[in-house]
Amino acid sequence: MVTTSEPAAARRWQPFAPLATAVRAATARWMRRRQGLDHPPVRLERRRIYILPTGVGMAFAGLLFLMLLAGLNYANSLALLLTFLLGAFALVVMQLCHRNLLGTEVTAVSAPPVFAHSTGAVRLSVANRSVAARWRLQASLPQGAPLAVDLPAGEELRLELPLPAPTRGVVRIERLSLATAHPCGLFRAWTWVHAPIEMLVYPRPRGSLPMPTLGGRHVGARMHLEAGTDEWSGLRPFRDGDSSRQVDWKAYAREAPLLVKEYAQESSELRLFDFAALTDPDTEARLSQLARWVVDAEAHGERYGLVLPQLQLSPDRGPEHRHRCLAALALFPDIGRR
Amino acid sequence: MAQANLPADERHAVAPLIWACAAFTGGMLLNVDRVPVWAVAAALALVGWRLATAGGRGWYPGIFVRAVLALALVAVVLAKFHTLNGLAAGTTLLLLMAGLKLLETRTPRDQFVLTGVALFLLLAACLGRQDLWRVPLYALEAWLCCAALVVIACPTLGAGPAFGAGRTLRIAGRALLPAVPLALLLFAFFPRLPGAFWAIPQGEEALTGLGDSMSPGGITRLVASYDIAFRVQFAGSAPAAEERYWRGPVLHDFDGSTWRRAAGALRARQPLTYLGVPYRYRVTLEPSRRPWWFALDTPARSPDTRVLLTYDYQLLATEPVDDAISFEALSYTHTQAAAPLDPAARRQDSALPRSGNPRTRALALTLRRQASTDDAYVQAVLDYLRAGGFVYSLTPEPLGADEVDDLLFRTREGFCGHYASAFVTLMRAADIPARVVTGYLGGEWNPIGGYFVVRQSDAHAWAEVWLAERGWTRVDPTAVVAPERLQRGILDLLTDELSTSERLLRAPWLTRLWQRWDAANTWWANHVIRFDYAAQLRLLQRFGVRSPDARYLGWALMLALCAWLALVTWQIGRSRRPARRDALARSYARLCRKLARIAPPRAPCQGPLSFAAAVSAHRPDLRERVYALLERYAQLRYGPVVPATHARAVEEFRRAVVRLSLPRRSDTQPSS
Repeated sequence: MVTTSEPAAARRWQPFAPLATAVRAATARWMRRRQGLDHPPVRLERRRIYILPTGVGMAFAGLLFLMLLAGLNYANSLALLLTFLLGAFALVVMQLCHRNLLGTEVTAVSAPPVFAHSTGAVRLSVANRSVAARWRLQASLPQGAPLAVDLPAGEELRLELPLPAPTRGVVRIERLSLATAHPCGLFRAWTWVHAPIEMLVYPRPRGSLPMPTLGGRHVGARMHLEAGTDEWSGLRPFRDGDSSRQVDWKAYAREAPLLVKEYAQESSELRLFDFAALTDPDTEARLSQLARWVVDAEAHGERYGLVLPQLQLSPDRGPEHRHRCLAALALFPDIGRR
Repeated sequence: MAQANLPADERHAVAPLIWACAAFTGGMLLNVDRVPVWAVAAALALVGWRLATAGGRGWYPGIFVRAVLALALVAVVLAKFHTLNGLAAGTTLLLLMAGLKLLETRTPRDQFVLTGVALFLLLAACLGRQDLWRVPLYALEAWLCCAALVVIACPTLGAGPAFGAGRTLRIAGRALLPAVPLALLLFAFFPRLPGAFWAIPQGEEALTGLGDSMSPGGITRLVASYDIAFRVQFAGSAPAAEERYWRGPVLHDFDGSTWRRAAGALRARQPLTYLGVPYRYRVTLEPSRRPWWFALDTPARSPDTRVLLTYDYQLLATEPVDDAISFEALSYTHTQAAAPLDPAARRQDSALPRSGNPRTRALALTLRRQASTDDAYVQAVLDYLRAGGFVYSLTPEPLGADEVDDLLFRTREGFCGHYASAFVTLMRAADIPARVVTGYLGGEWNPIGGYFVVRQSDAHAWAEVWLAERGWTRVDPTAVVAPERLQRGILDLLTDELSTSERLLRAPWLTRLWQRWDAANTWWANHVIRFDYAAQLRLLQRFGVRSPDARYLGWALMLALCAWLALVTWQIGRSRRPARRDALARSYARLCRKLARIAPPRAPCQGPLSFAAAVSAHRPDLRERVYALLERYAQLRYGPVVPATHARAVEEFRRAVVRLSLPRRSDTQPSS
């Protein structure tokens, strides 16, 4: 439940950190058991919203206690009245804080695949069906900084929580939290959404070997039909994995954003990328090279296939095929189920 | 403010700081009468500087500079107050330290701290002054602090116009308003302490009021003051204006120019026979920093264990009146001595300085010789004052060395103090025991509150003479010089000497307005400010709780708290629920709930017909009924509306849904 919103929190001396971690882990297990698995859309109901005073809230309570002592000691009616007013105010704030979260709907949670060595994102859609705005909802992943958002009445917003993808494979997130301290920051209400999120991390496209034209073992390869007559169709923003050869460097020199030239091509060439045909001893380097080829071939609109030791993907093209190939590389040596 | 035209994203970066500074400044201004001007100026300058650099530009002092500044400010406060304890010194220190805190206020945490300081300053203001007119200011400040908390916790709220003042104050107000009933409840029933944990260093400032000595002209200073000395509410009838002498310090020793209370004279009270009807009344004293409690003429007994009824029938408290005090008393306005005057007292009250005022002494001897009795002599002196062309004036000529001679034979104008002094001197010169009594005369009736208001301007001095048959007898020489003084206040009497603004203040409509305000103040003082342990017991007794048990009180409070919380929760929930769906949608929702008991619930993407298909697949036995209802709904919802029959059709659909009962298991024959 630590949001690590302040970097200072990490630097502070925390003698009970191991204990706190253990308690937190036990609580997390208990909550998981208690709440069960969530399948969005999820409406946040009472039984899954937890609320505790924050540090500010505890300090506020201390302040109220001092005020009460002063008021009682000096038998000062106004001081007592002020104390009681602020105390009752804090109780109302507790209710408002709870209400700020209660009834929020998490309509979708997903994590689109990304390339390794980049930062992916968990996409979270939250909807507010009430007639009052929900201020400062903070969504966060267990290790990430919270992302605050104001949700006007009757609206639905999509949040992207950054999730680092250091290596290829799968990044699993057990749960994500939705919290709020609005109004006043005296209380923090939060909930856990136990939607199992798996973010597929493709190998980082890298390597400079030329794309095997008909190289390797090309099974049933066809000659390309209209070599070199790609028709330029337009520019689109640079995406990770794009080949540097496609970047419109001239435009970039004119201080335009990094753009990529796209060629609308009819299937021109057939390629087959074979893991075994690569000679690099490092498996990761080979996978990176294969990923590079897949990305490039797809960008050129070519038909391509992939041959891995336990898996063959027959030549095809299109985003789905690209995903299938990259997923197989990501999960290597497991047989891709995706 | 210059920052008002910043773009929204920069505005919401500085908004929390601005709100915290506003709350702090508000708290500071509430204490402005207690804190030295330079401290307020310093704190305001720090606030201004911090706001000017709010955009992140500007130089921030390092830790060393801040530490030196902090120590220097503590030293300055110590030099000024000689203590850090006490409300004024503590408030000043808090103010300055919070000002310094501004120099390092960057994170939300610092802003929360600043708002906490603002709340503490508000507490200090409450501890210092509880006047009714300040209460709205205090409420505003509390509201401001709560709004600051809201913005600090959610800076985007501060991005709106005027730093989100409208919606922020609305959010804070909506949280504060439901808090008021609970606060009042707790105020009335939260257990109070009968005493205090630790003693309080009280305020130091001097207040106007009667002192323990009187030089004849001294009272004029009081008369100019419109401040309230005390209020009196009579149970039953009140004495007439000329009987309302409120006894204060009784003065015995005269040195030729000043009358003083007898030092250390502790005597037994002269036994008295009370005549006439007693008056029962409740006096509420304003703080005077002096130990006098004022009572009507001759109080019969001491109203409180902390108060001594002296031999000259003055109420003398062991401690000065620092807070408003309320007490009940019983007084008589006519008494008779039951025993002759104690010789020592006779000596004390017949003494005059060895020399001085020779013409007065001569006059006394002449008049005494002509009079047959002491009584006749008193009358003769009063006649002398009445016929001698004496004038009542607030601004008499200054008197020379022999003050009484000067008054009686030269200036012939003076004030109650002058005449009381001259009268007692004449009595003593004829060897009749006499003394000067200072106090108040009259009081203004407040018809709204049903009480008398006695002001400092009602201050008065009169004489008491020992007459053999009657004992101490009140004689008011001012009454013969200016008989109207007995009926009306001095300010009514001497309208020539009032300034235009003062005369305006006494316009009848303004007086009525003022009386209303004073009645409200009195109610406030009696029912809120002085609501203490004893008042709480009385309140509980009114509810039939004879001996309040902490446990029962606790349970009752808990119950009330739960009820209040339930109410607040319900109210907040209601205010957020979307508008009620129409009758058809409600019936459809009910139908879906019923069907969800026998089949998987309807997915959000499912329309009525696909839901019907899903349910029928699950429970083929109910196929016809489910289809009939859901098709009916689809028709009513999406089909053409026939205005004449639509309402009835919806109602029939509702009835059908209500009547629908679904068997749990499919033990009936599956149809088709």
